[in-house]
Amino acid sequence: MEQELLSLQDEARKNLDQLTDGGQLEDFRIRYLGRKGLCSTIMRELGTVAPEERPRVGQLANTIKAEIEKLFAEKMALLGGSSSGATGATTIDLSLPGRCPEPGRLHPVTQIMTEVCSIFEALGFSVAEGPDVEQDHYNFEALNIPAHHPARDMHDTFYVSESILLRTHTSPMQARIMESQQPPLRVIAPGKVYRCDSDITHTPMFHQVEGFLVDTKVSFADLKGILTVFTQKMFDKELALRFRPSFFPFTEPSAEVDIACVICGGSGCRVCKQTGWLEILGAGMIDPEVFKMVGYDPEIYSGFAFGLGIERIAMLKYGINDIRLYYENDLRFLSQF
Amino acid sequence: MKFTIDWLNEYVNTDGITPVELADHLTMLGLEVDAVTELFQELAPIKTALVLSVDRHPDADTLSLCQVAVGAETLQIVCGAPNVRPGLAVAIALPGTTLPGGVKIKKSKVRGIESCGMLCSERELGLSTSHSGIMELPANTPHGQSFIQALGLNNTLVEVDLTPNRPDCASVIGLAREIAGVTRRPLTLPVANVEIKSSCPDFSVDIESSELCPRYSARLVTGVTIAPSPWWLRKRLLSIGLRPINNVVDITNLVMMEYGQPLHAFDFDKLAHKKIMVRHPRRDELDFTTLDGVTRKLDSDMLMICDGTQPVAVAGIMGGMNSEVSDATTAILLESACFDPISIRKTARKLKLSSEASYRFERGVDPGGCLLAMERAVRLLCEVAGGEVAPGGADKYGGQRPLKTLTLRISRTSDILGIPLDYEKIADALISIGFRCKEKDADTLWVGAPSFRVDIAREIDLIEEVARLVGYNNIPTTLPTVQLRYPEQELSRTIRAKIGTLLTGIGYYEAINYSFTAAKYLQWLGLAEDDPRCRFVRLVNPLSEEQSVMRTMLLPGLLENVERNINYQKSAIKLFETGKVFTPTGDNEQPLEKNRLVGVLSGNRGGASSPYHSKAQGVDFLDAKGAVEYLLRELRLLGVGSSSPLGFTLADPARMEPFADPTQVLTIRAGEEDLGIMARILPHVLRKFGIKQDVFFFDLDLDALCQLTSVAKNFTSLPVFPAVGRDIAMLVPEHVAAGAMVEAVLQARESLIEQCEIFDVYQGDSVTRGYKSVALSVTYRSLQKTLTEKNVEKVHAKIVNMLAVKFEGTLREG
Repeated sequence: MEQELLSLQDEARKNLDQLTDGGQLEDFRIRYLGRKGLCSTIMRELGTVAPEERPRVGQLANTIKAEIEKLFAEKMALLGGSSSGATGATTIDLSLPGRCPEPGRLHPVTQIMTEVCSIFEALGFSVAEGPDVEQDHYNFEALNIPAHHPARDMHDTFYVSESILLRTHTSPMQARIMESQQPPLRVIAPGKVYRCDSDITHTPMFHQVEGFLVDTKVSFADLKGILTVFTQKMFDKELALRFRPSFFPFTEPSAEVDIACVICGGSGCRVCKQTGWLEILGAGMIDPEVFKMVGYDPEIYSGFAFGLGIERIAMLKYGINDIRLYYENDLRFLSQF
Repeated sequence: MKFTIDWLNEYVNTDGITPVELADHLTMLGLEVDAVTELFQELAPIKTALVLSVDRHPDADTLSLCQVAVGAETLQIVCGAPNVRPGLAVAIALPGTTLPGGVKIKKSKVRGIESCGMLCSERELGLSTSHSGIMELPANTPHGQSFIQALGLNNTLVEVDLTPNRPDCASVIGLAREIAGVTRRPLTLPVANVEIKSSCPDFSVDIESSELCPRYSARLVTGVTIAPSPWWLRKRLLSIGLRPINNVVDITNLVMMEYGQPLHAFDFDKLAHKKIMVRHPRRDELDFTTLDGVTRKLDSDMLMICDGTQPVAVAGIMGGMNSEVSDATTAILLESACFDPISIRKTARKLKLSSEASYRFERGVDPGGCLLAMERAVRLLCEVAGGEVAPGGADKYGGQRPLKTLTLRISRTSDILGIPLDYEKIADALISIGFRCKEKDADTLWVGAPSFRVDIAREIDLIEEVARLVGYNNIPTTLPTVQLRYPEQELSRTIRAKIGTLLTGIGYYEAINYSFTAAKYLQWLGLAEDDPRCRFVRLVNPLSEEQSVMRTMLLPGLLENVERNINYQKSAIKLFETGKVFTPTGDNEQPLEKNRLVGVLSGNRGGASSPYHSKAQGVDFLDAKGAVEYLLRELRLLGVGSSSPLGFTLADPARMEPFADPTQVLTIRAGEEDLGIMARILPHVLRKFGIKQDVFFFDLDLDALCQLTSVAKNFTSLPVFPAVGRDIAMLVPEHVAAGAMVEAVLQARESLIEQCEIFDVYQGDSVTRGYKSVALSVTYRSLQKTLTEKNVEKVHAKIVNMLAVKFEGTLREG
């Protein structure tokens, strides 16, 4: 019995070696592995083996059968044939596209917004949203921009009435949150903002994220730290950062933050206008006047605030070169992100 | 603010600093450089030449035949200019040169005589509008050289984008001061320390309000000859893009750019009663013609400069035609004054008129600098225009304030900036740009701000100056030490994010449309005039009619998107948007802002990664319904409705949306509350939006959705015993709702019924007209035992019977 098994194994191996085309595979399968094939026949004969020998021989038989099956499968894969002959199914063209339901995509602005918020949420910032149609008070006055301040020229404002307007930045949320909560505060405020300006580089509506942190002993160095973490996570690399003095009525000192150009790496290109730097953020230490207006003592509390434009970041990250595409909702555009 | 580097060099030596380094210094001081440009590059091919001889052209009286030396060459040029003469230094465009206006010079024959180029006028060179003759270069200009080099036009222009807090830098001296500070080089000023000791008997000045006009100084210059400015002066103005006018006006402009102090020159002989009065206009003084020739309406709040009888200038903004300097002018009254920024700004706004002067006054001009700038201009008038200054003058300085002295704490500065500083470092930085510092105590400095720094009023302003001069990039980078807290997030944000994930998962793309729209779209939708959604929040100053009101619905924007995508040949369109709609509440009140979720679908169902796996089948109402069902189920809001599953009910005909197909519309309800609607849009409505194919939509109240309590996840033990399935195919009248049949089965209170689902609805050849066949699959299971045929048969027969009675149905055989 053992002998028979071993010679069956031998024979099967040799036969399999000699097979050269897929058509012969089926004959082999029937002869050795089929229901009435040699393996099955031998298995059935196991009953004739002495009972004390049976477990050992039985195990050998199983091992040999498994090996023949394995070798057969390998050969089949090699010859590119199919074992489905027996089940009657037709062969499949493996070059056909895979089947899967087709998903849609989130708008690139939403994707970037989510990414920005997640980074700050991981740093312990909470997220707050405010009204799009805002009071002049929160948009300007509470941010130390009184009527007739030349800084209002920096905001081309859409008005609804004398004292109601479309917010020109997300900064009003600073005043709104501080007015109703006590420090320590760590908040970001994402949302839509509006400016009456429309050309190749401006749309009258766009998205910003405002962020601020108020506590005791917060310094400009801390502002630099938080924004460094943010930009490096956002752009996935150790980007050089540059802080430049600037002016916002609601922060002092104020800064504009540039990152090393993500396109050319700082050597100068069309996108960075040969400067090697890209402006991505406005920031600064919250002005004591702003604190006074919400009843915080600037001698006790200090804090920083920053604001960034989402479309600008999406343009840099995704290489979008025409801002108007954002609001046309052309599927050829939306499906790219 | 624009300046050239050679101009800057008059006040601070920038040797060894490249233009790029200079720009970098300014940018890092907060004076952002927008551009650094080499000037007049378009004139690079122009050469200097010397006219050797001039003869009459044999065939034309007005043309001259000139021999011109250009370096080693002598060229023959035909010239029509009246001022061409031997010995004149000129600018020549040789054949092959393209002039700034686009004209290309070729070797040509003029009336039969060859001309090897063109002698240029200032207009042809783009330097002025003068075309009365060719440009006359200074007598000793060497010929054969580059024109821009010989005339010193080869200069570097720097443009600075000023922030509103730095009016002191709207001047070349202001910028030079910053450069001098950062490079620790000396600053040289053209004029220093002047005083007007006596008044001038020839004129008087009166100021109505020293609040609005803190200082008004003036001097009289007589014997002036109005003429074009000398080349050095014109060149300076040209290089920063200002048009030279005449020597007097050019001097006032030059000094304004130099000192940042706007000046105005009146024709003294035109001032009635030799008097200046700074006052509001009288009631009869309503019209005033400014220098630009426009007649403007005055109002009583505006501050005017008047003579003895009438206004002669809008204070700080623009002079008037009635006192304009003309070629006949011989006496100049020169004004150097300071006005209240808010008053100037209000007037400039009302008149819709702004000027270099108003730009500076709005931001704050140093009243302490009036006399310096005036003295500089007076000297130039004498030098350039041949004037003679009358002794004495006027200097009304009613708004004089003591110089500000502030205290600055070293510890506070270090804390705010996050960098250790000491007295020396702080004082050194501040003194370098004109501040005065004195130690008050171990931690405090007395700091005197120079009068031109109108932006400095508080300790924090000084801290910013210190930061700027220390250099932001020399401040360390640290992370704040904060108390650990869990950042609570708003539920509505979480739900919105979930909706995004869910809808994109079933093939919807997210759209974002403008929050403003046009009112006409709601008319296209057929909304009644009294529909609350036709009450808009209107913009006072929209960019266009198309974007003039805040949206009250998201649907019109999405329909526009559908139309656009159809035009771009997209066969399957599924879009959604979550966003705000705005409802007015009252004048000068913020509107209500509510969040909605709207989806639109049109064209092919698509749905697979490849057309090979999709059937080309159009979407229908059930696709819209499916999306909403899926959304509500996955948000775990299922079961909140009252009677029917998921809370869909037929829309109330009395409150039907006029754009919805009344046969294909369902209302989504949560108890008594309307959550939204889904429907097919009527074709005639779609046609208004330019769409000729079916569009379905759903529109949900997102805020209401967020208020609903989600169904808790609760484990049910897995069944131990097998289920038995039975199908029912029943012929019912076609008006019967298959969903109602399912509901009837589930509510039959039979404990063995686990599930009932519709698996086919058929109307066609084999079914009697007016009837349809509904096939249901019912699942039976017991929690106690394995069901036998008999157990099931008994209940099933009851169910079939119940359906047959309730829905007038007959069981279909086979």
